[in-house]
Amino acid sequence: MTISGLGPHGERAAPPERIALFPDDITAARAGRFRVAIVLHTLSSDWAKQQIAGIMATFGDCEAAVIEVVDCGFAPEAQVAALDRLRGEKPDAIISIPVANSTVADAHRRVSQAGIRLLLLDNVPTGLLPGSDYVALISADNFGLGTIAAAFLAERLAQGAAVGVLSYHAEFFATNEREIAFNKWMLTNRPDIRLHVRKFDSIQTAGADALALISDHDDLAGFFVVWDTPAMEVVKALERAGRHLPVTTVDLGRDAAINLASDGMICGIGAQQPYLQGIAVAQTCVLALLGKQTPDWVALPGLAVSSDNVVESFQKVWRKQAPREVLVSAKLLKNPSAP
Amino acid sequence: MPIASTSGIRGKGRPTTRDSAAASLGALFNLIRSGKATTRQELERESELGRAVVADRLATLSEIGLIVESELGIASGGRAPRLVRFRTDLGCILVATLDQSALGVGIADLSGRLFTEHHEAIDLGADAASTSQRILSLFDWLIAKHAPDMPVWGIAVSVPGPVTEGDEMPFMEQTPSFLPAWEGFPFVETLVDRFGAPVWLRSSIETMTMGERFAGAGQTARNMLFIKVGKRIGAGLIFDGRLYRGAQGASGLIGQMPVQAGDRASTLDVLAGSDMIAREGLAAAQSGRSPLLADTLRRGGDVGAIEVSQAAQSGDPTSMEILGISGRMIGHSVAMLANMLNPDLIILSGTMAQTNDLLLAAVRETVYGESHPLVTRDLIIAKSQMGSSAGLVGAAMVVVESLFEPGCLKDWIVHGTPLAHPVFLALRKACAARRAGIAAGQDRQAIAP
Repeated sequence: MTISGLGPHGERAAPPERIALFPDDITAARAGRFRVAIVLHTLSSDWAKQQIAGIMATFGDCEAAVIEVVDCGFAPEAQVAALDRLRGEKPDAIISIPVANSTVADAHRRVSQAGIRLLLLDNVPTGLLPGSDYVALISADNFGLGTIAAAFLAERLAQGAAVGVLSYHAEFFATNEREIAFNKWMLTNRPDIRLHVRKFDSIQTAGADALALISDHDDLAGFFVVWDTPAMEVVKALERAGRHLPVTTVDLGRDAAINLASDGMICGIGAQQPYLQGIAVAQTCVLALLGKQTPDWVALPGLAVSSDNVVESFQKVWRKQAPREVLVSAKLLKNPSAP
Repeated sequence: MPIASTSGIRGKGRPTTRDSAAASLGALFNLIRSGKATTRQELERESELGRAVVADRLATLSEIGLIVESELGIASGGRAPRLVRFRTDLGCILVATLDQSALGVGIADLSGRLFTEHHEAIDLGADAASTSQRILSLFDWLIAKHAPDMPVWGIAVSVPGPVTEGDEMPFMEQTPSFLPAWEGFPFVETLVDRFGAPVWLRSSIETMTMGERFAGAGQTARNMLFIKVGKRIGAGLIFDGRLYRGAQGASGLIGQMPVQAGDRASTLDVLAGSDMIAREGLAAAQSGRSPLLADTLRRGGDVGAIEVSQAAQSGDPTSMEILGISGRMIGHSVAMLANMLNPDLIILSGTMAQTNDLLLAAVRETVYGESHPLVTRDLIIAKSQMGSSAGLVGAAMVVVESLFEPGCLKDWIVHGTPLAHPVFLALRKACAARRAGIAAGQDRQAIAP
């Protein structure tokens, strides 16, 4: 699948094949005995766990030591403190997902200025430039993920229908791209559809925001929510309100997968591949540490996940067995509660 | 008593205090806006106006809503002074950059600081109406996301080629000629009509020059030469602190200058631009002359000008030689300009210039070697630190500089918004009428047999 978006500064995407490691790279990396630190927004989500798994597997092969994995708990202050502290440890590289925009920009810049290779995941604070301020950005093709979600929802919409778009209030490259792509796909392919947008501040408020949007526009026939966790809050809120509307989103979380498989409100998902993204960032990191050329932006294509392919997609994304509920819904397991 | 409260009715032919004070209001406002003066004492010193006049004008500016005077500054002996600040959140600025294959958009506050930017692929060869519609959609999205309650004070769009029109008086009245495929399309009129704000079009080299002048390395330079190295090589000129556009808005097309490399004679674009660098780099990769570029090719990567630049920075001798040839050739042309213009600062920009030091070194060597000693005595030659965001930042600065230019400012400052400028109000009506006329003409054509 091709990459449809452009990078945060208009860069063209390089595919993950571009940063594949050859046997001689791995041999050289083992001799380098590199030390790397990882700073993530959270360690509790499946997405973060799979990223870490991909990173660890690759660094394990290259015998690079991961000296610390920091959970910032989505807090910019915690990230700034972690980056400043890690600079003192003088690792060869730091892999970070910036949790905010301007408030964490300088802390990231200080890492590069200290001679530590900086690799970013999913987000680039405004003003930071590839080459001088960081090595590369590794992310999903978020623009492509937005178009996948739009195409799924369009199948469920009658001519002239109205759709609610729940966008994230914070300034974040990935969610911005998804929202813009969803809107563009609808404008281009379904100009009859009317879009009503509302911003949510946190996952917990997404459900209430969806209901507020419905009270403003009673004829809403579907929703797009920019990632899966708030999307499931929307699904729960709609259930409580006695409404059944198709919802599309991005990321194949466990609850969203179960809902999709069981013909719930989730009718299609654009899924990232966090394990492969973890491998990609680790490979880019190794190449940079070996003095090889690396692209400014490496993007991984998204997967279009429907109820027809949810089992194999789950395995592909999460590298583990799909939840029992998904397997039962897909009629791959008997339902123990059935007579 | 603040002058805003004075009556506008006076003796016949005698201007009101408010009208006659517009110039000093504008002067004080620009001192505050530019940060040159942030307290009453500094304003008195910088403007050379008396205490009572400064107090009166500040009261007016506060009443109009353009400034706030609340925070306390640092005391230098007595009481801490109140800081005067321009309210940059009174409106927003929409900006876009168009090139052959990508569209960039952004939204900025009235200081020109970008809130966010977004880039996506387009085909500029497609019809103008659909590209224009896409820009409108993205502007709508930016406003909804970042400034739902802010009026748009201005819009600037950067386009690939020269914008062939002289200076606007003071706003762009109709779409100038800038690309053959857009000929006859009412782009400026559409934007004015939709967002109710003045519009400026500038070439990409002009907006990047403005970005560098106001947010990059050129912030203290009065005379700056900005060189963009890409497929085409262009120059932007800041002359006495302001962008110089030339008689037709076509200054700086230095890529058209004839140059010679060995026995080959052509233009600077052809012999030193990114196409030459990419071609030579690919040949070096395929022949194995450059092991680093050959390795990139082996990994399935493209070998283009950017890869050659990165390889040169990593010490690849062949890539260094290719960039050296390009840099020296650009340096010859830049030295000629430097001898004629005597700039304080020369900035090299473009991905190739920014990803390595070789191009910069070759340009420096040639310019210093071929220029008069007086020209190079204090001359700084550096590379841009702004990257591809320079165009969007510069487009925002085109709006800021145009709106707050003293001649324009004095005609709207008493209204508190440039959207109430009498010339702009008339222009809006003219734009709407012209768009309606074009639409009617199209309708007539559509029903003609």
